[in-house]
Formats: sequence, structure tokens, C-alpha cells
Amino acid sequence: MISFTVDGETFTGNEGDTIASALYANGKRSWRLGKAGDYRGLFCGIGICYDCLVKVDGMSWSRACQVEIHPGMCVETNLQGEGHL
Amino acid sequence: MTYSSDVLIVGAGPGGLSAALAAANCGLKVTIVDAYPEPGGQYYHQPPSRYRNEATNRQKVGRILWRRAVNAGVEIRSSTIVWNLDNKKNASIHGSGGTETIHGEIVILATGAYERTVAFPGWTLPGVITAGAAQTLLYRRVKPGKRVLLAGTGPLQLVTAANLLDAHMKVICVLEAARLYPSIDGGIALVGQWGRIREGSRSIAQLFWHRVPYRVGWGILRAHGREQVEGATIAQLNSEWQPIPGSEQEVSCDTICTGYGFIPFNALAKMAGAKFVWDTALGGEVPVRDEYFRTSIPGIYAIGDSAGIGGYRMALYEGAIAGASAAVDLGHRVPLAEKIFQSTSRKLRNEQRFQKYYSRLFTPKDGIFELSHPDTIVCRCEGITRDMIEKAVCCSGAKTLQELKAVTRCGMGECQGRVCGPTISRMVSKLTGMSMDSIGSFASRLPIFPLPAGSFQITQD
Repeated sequence: MISFTVDGETFTGNEGDTIASALYANGKRSWRLGKAGDYRGLFCGIGICYDCLVKVDGMSWSRACQVEIHPGMCVETNLQGEGHL
Repeated sequence: MTYSSDVLIVGAGPGGLSAALAAANCGLKVTIVDAYPEPGGQYYHQPPSRYRNEATNRQKVGRILWRRAVNAGVEIRSSTIVWNLDNKKNASIHGSGGTETIHGEIVILATGAYERTVAFPGWTLPGVITAGAAQTLLYRRVKPGKRVLLAGTGPLQLVTAANLLDAHMKVICVLEAARLYPSIDGGIALVGQWGRIREGSRSIAQLFWHRVPYRVGWGILRAHGREQVEGATIAQLNSEWQPIPGSEQEVSCDTICTGYGFIPFNALAKMAGAKFVWDTALGGEVPVRDEYFRTSIPGIYAIGDSAGIGGYRMALYEGAIAGASAAVDLGHRVPLAEKIFQSTSRKLRNEQRFQKYYSRLFTPKDGIFELSHPDTIVCRCEGITRDMIEKAVCCSGAKTLQELKAVTRCGMGECQGRVCGPTISRMVSKLTGMSMDSIGSFASRLPIFPLPAGSFQITQD
């Protein structure tokens, strides 16, 4: 199992999981606010729509559906009102 | 410094791998640049290494094609995106090693397609995903949800439903918007399509076995929920795919898989300045091509779904022809190229015949683009609603997608309008009566994918 954090909360996933698949496996499906303040998460799954954006180890505009998790990965969302990712 | 190859191929799906194999067998130096960690594209998507010995037949076939290409000397650069292509065939790429330029004497674009989604109230809620997204979760043995509704059109919906059932998930029902009645031309089109018939019957048998309703001529009207999907309203559709009043039903579900066919991913051909034409049956805007799949820009080919939706078989055959044609262009091993043309052209014609029938059946009708309410978000990135689009058309006089973008910011987000563009152009066409060609599309902008700031610099040669 691989441990990683999202906004400080610890999650675990399998090797080969993307951030999105690991969060889905943990029952977490909303992890972003759109510009209108509405909840967003996984959508296209293939890296086209940019709806699942998170910040990964400080890197903005990372697609949760494309980035594979690694031990100690630090994922940040904009749910705490950080605004645009 | 610029790296150079005889043939540069963008995309390592069925089309790209097939083109690479043909070109390499004809003696050319071939480089493929692919966005994903492993070759295969969407159709031959490889499982994570921990599930490799559980690979499906399709994944195994893709792996064999990949191996054959590598053994033929093809260089594959994975996890690398092409973010610009100019009309001199210079591609700007970004991968783990940073940014560089690759020049191809011949460039073959095999960038595939993405699923068409339409704006209905609630379609931005987490839990509404494309059928393809559900597949990417299943590859990793992750369940998309507990109670799944599928709503859309085409075989991918059926196959995804069968895959969800294989993974022991509860599928509420499958809604197919198209009216699939047995017909004579349908029977004729299916002659010789045993692979398709087998896969289709297997999926339908799977639904039947699990008593999952397959509702033909039905669609989704809206998704309910606050933080995520909690239910949906569905309805029967008429022949124009408009909901029939009074037929609405509420269903309880936590996941909705949706997809109304595919849209060609054509951004690089646009960046290079290739000539385009609107063809609804091929998925929308497609590059103009000759019989060897050359675009209007000398030395740049476009094949497979990226140049018009046709499926993986079409991509394989177009790839073989384009790869061999590249060899002829560069004066290599012409006899082998002739052989490839001969052995492929009949199979290709067969596919084209089937494609005509397929697109007549599954090409979305107008009704599906009219499901949004005034306050429904149409452009997901920028949060632009239908109301704002209509006001821009009616009050500000915006007529083309480029004008709409300037007035409302729709299509200005990270996806560059790939998701909303096709829906918005249908809305504008409905409002103004203008043709899709004259409404146009959002221009592709450099870089075609967002890049980390500072990771690229533009040099003037």
C-alpha cells in the first residue's frame, strides 16, 4: 500500500493507482471547486477535460486522473477556498 | 538542439503503432511520442504492472503490437506530450527530460479521440463520469460507485456496462438514445463483422443475465445531488432525441456513466494550419486528407480517430497505409509499401462501409444538445452557463465560437474548449440557423496542454 496526503489527510492506495482512482477507492469523489463554486472531481478520465485538477508536491494544474501516487505524495485541493488551482 | 527522425508519430494507440510498424519495416527511422506511461492508447490501454498477468485479450494484442514495433526499431517516448507543431514539421515536446524539439521528415498524427459529453443539468456533479473514465477505474480494480446508471449512445456504453457487471457492480439500467431497430441495411452492414457481433452479443447477454434493463430510445435529463450524484431523471426520447413530455422517471443512483460517441482530437493538425472541414458523421471538424491520409500541409499525415471517428480497426489500416506511404514519399523500399497498400485497402474499404452505417445509427441528434437549463454550466472550466451564451449571441451579436470566447470566456479554460466547443456550436447553430462551418471552432492555442510555468521557452531560429 502507498500512503499519500490530501490537504493533510492521509489516504492509501495501490501501486499503479492514479490520484483519482485512489480517491475513488476511498469513497472520496469531490475534490475541487469550479469557478462557480460547485463541486468537481473525475470526469473524462483520460486527461482531456482538466476537471480533476489538484496541486501535487507543489505542482499546479496536475490532473488527478493522470498522475500516479507515490509514497509521501502531498496533494492539495482548492476546497479550503484557495481559489483557482 | 533539434532531434530529427524520418517519421515522427504522435500517439501510440492502434493507429500510431500500426503506422510505426509499417514505416519501420520499410526501412525508416521512426520515433513515436506518446502522452501516456505505456503505449496502447485508449483501445489497447495497458493494465498497471501488478495486474499484468490478468490482462484481457485486447490488452495482450496491444502489447504484441507494441513489442513488434519496438523489435522493428521504433523508438517510443512515453509520458511525453507534444504541445506544438508548426507547418515545417517541428514538434515541441515536453517529458521527464524537459522540453525539446523533434523534427520529422514526415509527421503522422494519430492522437485519437475523446468522448463526447453533453451539458444536462447536474452534469458537472462528481459521480457523473464518462464511460471511458469508468474503464480507467476498472483497469485499476476500483469501483466507480455502488449503483451505476449508463446514459449515452454507442457500443462503449454496452461494453462498459458488461465490464461493470463483470466487476460485480450494480448497474441500474443502460439508456441508449439511438433507436436501434433491426433493418435490412443494418443486416448488410454487419456481414463479415463477426468480431463486432461477438462483442455486442456478449455484452447484451451479460445485461440479460443480470436482468439489467437496456432501454433503447431513452436518455438522461438531469443528475441530482449537492456534493455528488444522488439520483437522476430519465425520459424516453423521440426520433430527434428530444425528451417526450410525460415519460420522465426518477432513478436512484450514485454514479452516472455518460458518453455520446467521440470527438476527434485534432489540435495538432490545427496548430500546423491544416485545412479542415465539418463532417457530422465523422465526429465534427476533421482535416481534409487525400487517399493516403496526407493533410493539406506537405509531409503531415493524420490517421485514425483523430482525423474522423472510425474505431480501432480503421486506425490500424489507415496507419499501415500512412506508414507505407511515408516510405514512398522518402524513397524507401517501395515494393514492400506496394504490398502493404494492396493487403490493406480492401479491409479499409470494408471498415469505411461499416462506418457509414454506424454513424447513421449513433450520430447524436439535436435534442441531446438542448437538455441544459438557463443556469446549467456549459463551459466546465470557466463556469459559463447556457444563459450567458444565449445572451452573448442575442444581445452582443457573437456568432462564431471565437467571438463567443471573447465575450463570455467560454472555451478559455484549461481544456481549450475541447469539452464545451462541440455543444456550444450546436447551440449557436440552433439559435442563429448558421452552418457549423461558419460558426467555426475554438482556435488551438500554444501550448495545447497547460505546461508548468518556466518549463518551456520559445526560441526563434
